[in-house]
Amino acid sequence: MMARIVDAMNNRGGFLERPARLVAAGLLGAALVVGAPLLLADEEPHPEGGHAVPGQAEDPDHPAEIQSGGELGEEHGEEHGGELGEEHDEEHGGTSLHFPTLVRIIADVVEPGGKELHGYADARSPVARFLLRYEDPIYSGLIILLLTVLFAAGARNLQMIPGPFQNFVETLIEGLDTFIRGVIGPQGRQFVPFLGTLGIYIYVMNIFGLIPLMKSPTSILETTAAMAICVFLYVQFSAVRMNGIRGYLHHLAGEPKDAIGWGMVPLMLPLHVIGEFAKPLSLALRLFGNVMGEDLLLVVFAGLGVSILAFTHLPVGFPLHLPFIFLALLTTLIQALVFMLLSTIYIALVMPHHDHGEEHASR
Amino acid sequence: MENPIMLALPLALGIAALGSGLGLGRAVGGAMEAMGRQPEAIGRIQTAMIIGAAFIEALTIYVFVSMFIFLGGK
Repeated sequence: MMARIVDAMNNRGGFLERPARLVAAGLLGAALVVGAPLLLADEEPHPEGGHAVPGQAEDPDHPAEIQSGGELGEEHGEEHGGELGEEHDEEHGGTSLHFPTLVRIIADVVEPGGKELHGYADARSPVARFLLRYEDPIYSGLIILLLTVLFAAGARNLQMIPGPFQNFVETLIEGLDTFIRGVIGPQGRQFVPFLGTLGIYIYVMNIFGLIPLMKSPTSILETTAAMAICVFLYVQFSAVRMNGIRGYLHHLAGEPKDAIGWGMVPLMLPLHVIGEFAKPLSLALRLFGNVMGEDLLLVVFAGLGVSILAFTHLPVGFPLHLPFIFLALLTTLIQALVFMLLSTIYIALVMPHHDHGEEHASR
Repeated sequence: MENPIMLALPLALGIAALGSGLGLGRAVGGAMEAMGRQPEAIGRIQTAMIIGAAFIEALTIYVFVSMFIFLGGK
């Protein structure tokens, strides 16, 4: 009988199998959420007459780039000959130092000196402007493509006795399923695609920055805020769908049952509404702060390692940021887990309680 | 000192780190005690401790991020 089930799973029509469809749909939704605010933002480039001369002449308090006599080969191999130019990027407010990334290097090839400019609007060629402006969505899109292809390939041709990759995918998804159902309860199964995709996507995005010439999309506030808004909207929508409008408002008012409860509604309602808005804010800031902090730490220590050996004028440097890469591996996993867990808890909080006196989160 | 914010921001970060250090110490200390009492529950306690530590740490991260926001004017 199990063989028949597996055959039915394999011979289902359609391009992708069901779990992969869910994962792909979730990732596409995430892609829309990530890309839409950036695409809709109508930031005007500077008027054509004002091609400002780029460079340090305008800002006397920007220190000169740490050139150290040429190029630094990253510790992962000297074939990536990118300069460790520590660029002070005014776009995101305050100093944000970057490693050289693939998109910036391509933009530099397209327009020499392009990545040194303050902000993308000064770039002259539209290709360079596009590349610099949409650098992080490009990485997000790359990750989405990678994950979709990976999981779609893993969900194809399901065998009774799984091969190694199918085994890995099954273990992962089953682990997420158990975890989320442990928090929400048996009805959690319907939320597993969204929350599981969120967890996997955030973890891969965080890890991506550790690959040489790549950058974590979560190291900017736009990405994490987009995901937090996505979670917020999904939670509110689920609450309305499961409880009805009246139940939703009843829940927001603090579930008044008696006269005292109803009397406290003018206090509880604004409190709950502000709390509902504070939740995605804290989600976004927590993830953004952690990932940006890790990246900044890596850049600063790598720069330190380079500047120590700057006197030799050789393209070498101590890899002083090595222990922090291991720290980053750990903290990014924890932060992805925390984001997913908190989203799960927010959904669990708005589930309808059937029995008073029965606790959820029973394994 | 012509810009008091350059004194205030690291001070704020230091105070936030202090508070979060105290909080983390209490959380992890409680977890250690619980693990000592019931060694068979170590896995679950450890998971809960890590998650709790991430929340407490987040408060310092908020101050860190807002420091960059305040420095954005420069």
